[in-house]
Amino acid sequence: MSAHVVLKQITERFTSVIQRTDVPEDGRLFVYVEPQALRELCRYVFRVLDARYVISIGLDDRPISGKFLVAHDFAFDKEHVLCSILSYLSGNPPRVDSISDVVPAANWAEREFRDLVGIEPVGHPYPKRLVLPDGWPDGVHPLRRDYPWDAVPAGYDESRTFDFDDPPEGCVVVPFGPFHPTLDEPAHFRLFVDGETVRGCEYRGFMVHRAIEKLGDSVLTYNEIPMAAERICGICGCVHNVAYAQAVEQAAAVTPPPRARYIRTIMLEIERLHSHLLWVGLGCHILGFDTLFMQCFRIREPIMWIAEKISGNRKTYALCLVGGVRWNITPALRSELMGVLAKLEQEWRPVVDAVAGDRNIQKRTRGVGVADAALVKSAGLIGPVARAAGVDIDARRDHPYAAYGDVEFKVITQEGGDVWSRLLVRALEVFESIRIVRQCLDHLPEGPLQATIQDELPPGRVGLSSVEAPRGESHHFVITGENNRPRRWRVRAPTYQNLQGVPAMIKDQQIADMTISLGSIDPCFSCTDRMEIIDVRSGAHRVYTQSELLQLTRGQTRTP
Amino acid sequence: MSLVSKLKETIICLQAGRVTLPYPHVPATPPAGFRGRPIFNIEKCIGCAGCANNCPAREILVHDICQEIRIIQYVGRRCTYCGRCADVCPEKAITMSPDFENATNDITDMQQRLELFMGTCQRCGRCFKEPTPLEQLMMKGYRLDEVDKERWVYTANAYLDKEPTVRDIEIELD
Amino acid sequence: METSLAVRVLSGGMNIALVLALAPLCEGILRKVTAKVQSRQGPPVWQPYYDLLKLLGKEDMESGESPAMQRFASWLSLAAILTVAVLVPMGTIPPMSGAADAYLLIYLLTLCGISTMLAGLAAGSTYSLVGMSREMMSLMTLEPLLAVAVIIGVVHVRSLRLEAVLDGSPYAQAGVPLAGILMFGVAILAFQALVGRLPFDIAEAETELMEGSLIEYSGPKLALFKFTQMAKLVVYGALVVSLFFPWGSGLPAPLNLVSLLVKLVLLVLVVTLVAATHARYRIDQAIRYYGGLLGASLVALLLALYGY
Repeated sequence: MSAHVVLKQITERFTSVIQRTDVPEDGRLFVYVEPQALRELCRYVFRVLDARYVISIGLDDRPISGKFLVAHDFAFDKEHVLCSILSYLSGNPPRVDSISDVVPAANWAEREFRDLVGIEPVGHPYPKRLVLPDGWPDGVHPLRRDYPWDAVPAGYDESRTFDFDDPPEGCVVVPFGPFHPTLDEPAHFRLFVDGETVRGCEYRGFMVHRAIEKLGDSVLTYNEIPMAAERICGICGCVHNVAYAQAVEQAAAVTPPPRARYIRTIMLEIERLHSHLLWVGLGCHILGFDTLFMQCFRIREPIMWIAEKISGNRKTYALCLVGGVRWNITPALRSELMGVLAKLEQEWRPVVDAVAGDRNIQKRTRGVGVADAALVKSAGLIGPVARAAGVDIDARRDHPYAAYGDVEFKVITQEGGDVWSRLLVRALEVFESIRIVRQCLDHLPEGPLQATIQDELPPGRVGLSSVEAPRGESHHFVITGENNRPRRWRVRAPTYQNLQGVPAMIKDQQIADMTISLGSIDPCFSCTDRMEIIDVRSGAHRVYTQSELLQLTRGQTRTP
Repeated sequence: MSLVSKLKETIICLQAGRVTLPYPHVPATPPAGFRGRPIFNIEKCIGCAGCANNCPAREILVHDICQEIRIIQYVGRRCTYCGRCADVCPEKAITMSPDFENATNDITDMQQRLELFMGTCQRCGRCFKEPTPLEQLMMKGYRLDEVDKERWVYTANAYLDKEPTVRDIEIELD
Repeated sequence: METSLAVRVLSGGMNIALVLALAPLCEGILRKVTAKVQSRQGPPVWQPYYDLLKLLGKEDMESGESPAMQRFASWLSLAAILTVAVLVPMGTIPPMSGAADAYLLIYLLTLCGISTMLAGLAAGSTYSLVGMSREMMSLMTLEPLLAVAVIIGVVHVRSLRLEAVLDGSPYAQAGVPLAGILMFGVAILAFQALVGRLPFDIAEAETELMEGSLIEYSGPKLALFKFTQMAKLVVYGALVVSLFFPWGSGLPAPLNLVSLLVKLVLLVLVVTLVAATHARYRIDQAIRYYGGLLGASLVALLLALYGY
C-alpha cells in the first residue's frame, strides 16, 4: 500500500489545503490542492520526500469546470508510486506560482504551458517562448478548447525574431544547428565559445512541433491515438504507443489480457535492442569511427527483420489498442526470434569486449559531457544518462508495467557520468534485454490478445503511465473524455528532460566534444528552413519567405 | 591494450564479409504480414464504411450520393499503413499488400475509388449488396453514359469539397 | 651526371602526369578497401575520377568572404603539390637535379599546408575559421617533421642536392644508422597525419565541423582541393619512399617505376587499415602526439649531427 504511505506523508503537513485525494490503484496517487499551496507542496515533495520530477501539464478545463487545471507529476521511485498534484485555477488569464525555482527541472514544462495554454507561471526565472514559433501572435494559445485544431492565427508576424541572449565576455557565438551533419533533426544550440572551449549555450528548439497533443484531444479517437503516438519518435515509437494505451487503461480500469502484456514487453525490449545498437553505432560515427558504426548496424539488422515479421513494419509496429495488442507471436515466430537473439548475443559480445579495451575510443569519451548525480537530481535526468551517473532508476523496475513485474533483470549502472559510462550502460543493457525477451517467450501465456470493452470508457478519469524508453522514462498523462476521445493527452518524451541538462554538460568542454556530448543523451528531436531559389536562365535569385514556401508545398498535389 | 582491441575489431569486420544486398537490381520481397499499400476489393465490400470510421489519418472518405449509391474513396496521401482498415473490415475486403515501392508523382495512382450500389431492402429501404455492382446498376435502369446521372457524382465531389482536407481531389469535367 | 634540359623537363612532366593519373586511383583503392573492412560493397575503384569530373562540371559559385582569394587558394594548393611532385623522384631520375636543392623542397611542402589555411581564411565563416585554426596548429607541429627528415639526410650526405638527399640519405652512415632508423619510425607514425586521414583528419572533421576549411567551396574549386588531398597521398608517399625505402630505385626503367608503385600501394593499404580502425582524435590530443614525434625527430637530428 505504498501510495497510501506517500499520501500519509503529504497529508500530515498539508491537510487544510488538500481538496481531494484519489488512489485508484497501488501505484498511483492524485492530490488536488488549492493553487496557493501548490508551490510549497511541490517543494516539499521534491526536496523533503526526495521524489523525482516528471512533468507539468496545463490544460483548459473550462467546458467542464469553468477553470484551468495545472498538474505536476512526480515519481517516488523507491515506493513505486507515480503521483500527480493537481490544482484548478480560476480567472482568465490564469496564473499559478512557478515551481521552477525550487524544482529546476520544471523549467521547460512551465514555459510550455505558458505558450500553449496561456497559464502564466509567476516567478519563472526564464519566461521566454519555448514551443511556439517566433512570429506567433501573443495571447493566442493553441491548446485551449476554443482554438480549432486547423486554424492559422491572424497576426502571424514573419519578421519577428527570437530574442537571443548576449554571449558572455570574450566569447564568440558558434551556431550549432539547425542544420548539422551530426543531428538527424533540427535543434539550435547557440554556443558561446572562447577559443576552443564552450563557455555556455542557449537552446532553441521545437522546430518541428507537430501539434500531436492537439490532434489527440480534438480530432483522434481513443484507438486512433496509438498510431499518432508511435510517430512521435523515429526510433522508440512502440514506447509511446504502449504508454498511451496503458494510461487510458489505468484511467478507465481496463485490464489487458496476460498474453497481450507479455507481447507488449517483448516488442518493447526488441525496440530497446535496436535502439541501443543504433546508438552505439551512431556514437562511433560521431567520433569518426565509421567501421564500428557499420558493424553495429550490420548486427542490428536481423532485429529489424524479425520486428517486420511480427508486426508488419521495421519500426512502426502499430502494436497497441486500448485493452490489448494487434499482433500475435506464433510458434514459428517464437523460434525465429529465439534464433535471432542467440545470434545477436553471440555477435555483440565480442564487439563489447573489443570496445571496452579500446583506448582510442576511451580517449574521446572519458571525462566528456559529464553529468553527475547532483545534476541528475536537479534537472530530472533519466534513462542511461542517469544510470551512467550512478543513479539507480529504471521505470521497468520502479513502476512495473506490462509483464515486467514477472521477469528478472538487472539494472545496469556505472559510475562516472561521462559519455563512456553511457556507452557502457547501453552496450550492457542489450544483454539484459535479451534475457527479458527470453523469459517472456518461455512463459508466454495463452489467451486472447484483446480485452473486450463493452461500454464507453468513463469520462473525467486521470491516467498516468511511465514506460522505460531506450532513452529514459516516457510518461503519458491522459484525462478520459466524451465522444470516444480523451480530454487531454500529455506526452513527456525522455529527451525533453535530458536536453535540459545539455547546457550544463557541455560547459567548459571543447567544441569538438559538443557533438558527442549531445549525441550521448541519444537525442530524438526534427526540420524545415528557408529555401533560396535561383532561376538558372535569368540568373535572378530570390529567397522564398516562409509563407510562400508553405503555399508552395500545400498547393503541391501533383509534383513536380 | 588498444592494438589488441583494434585487431579484435578488425577480425570481427573481416569475418562478417560483405552484407550489402543487391536491391534494387534484385527485387526485395517483404515477409508475409508486411503492411504495405492497402488494396480494396470492391467485390467483397459491403459499404459499411467501418474502414473510414477507424482510419487515424482520415484517408478513407465516404459519401452517400443518395440512398442507393455510396462512394468510398481511399485517398492515399497520408496513409500510414497502420492496417486498422483491414483489421475492422467485416468482409475482409481490405488486404495490406506487400507493395512498398509507392513513390509516384501522380496521386491518382494511389487513389482507389469504390462506387457501390447499395441495393435497398424492401422493408426498410436501406442497403444490401447484390451480385455485382454493375448488375445492380443495370437492374435499376442506371445508364452509365447518361450525363445527368453522372452529375450526381460531381455533386458529391462538390459536397466533398466542403471538407477542408480534400480540396485537392479533382474529377475532370468534360 | 648532368642531364640535359629536355630530359629533365620530360621527366618532370612524367611525374606530374603520374600524380594526376595515380592520385584518384589511390584514393579509390583506399575507399574500396575501407568498404571491404566495413562489410559493405563500397564504390567502384574509379569513383574518385567520376567525382572529380562531376565537381569540375558544376557551376563555379562565389560564396564566402573573398572569392578572389578563394580561387587563388584552390589553384595554389594544387600547384604547390604538383611542384613538389616535380622535385621528388618517382621511379626516374629526379627531374630537377642540379637545379633545386633541399631548401626548396621544404619551402614547397610548407606552401601546401599554407594553401589550405588560406582557404579557410578566405572563406571567413565561423566553421572555416575554426578549421583553419586547427589546420594551423597541426601545420606548426607536423611540417617540421618532414623538414627534419630532409635535414638529417642533408647532414649525412653533406650536400643539399636533391638527387643525393632523396636517395635513402638518412641511412647514409657507416655502421648502424641510428638517426635514420629513429627518423624512419617517426615518419611512419606521422604519415597518417601528413596525408590528413583518420584518426588525424581533424581539420575537416565532417561530423564536428561541417568540413572545416573547405566549407564554402563547391564545384571546380572543391575539385582542386580534393585533388590536392588525393595527390598528397601519392606525393608524400613517394617522398617517404625515396627517403626511407630507396631500395629498388637503382633498377633500370621501367622496373624502378614498378618498384615505386608497389611500395606506394603498400603504403596506401597501411594508411587505409589505420584509417578504418580508429576514431578521430581531438585537436589537443593530436597536437600532443605530434609534439612527441617532433621531440623524437629532434633527438634524431642531434644523433645525425654527432655522426650517428
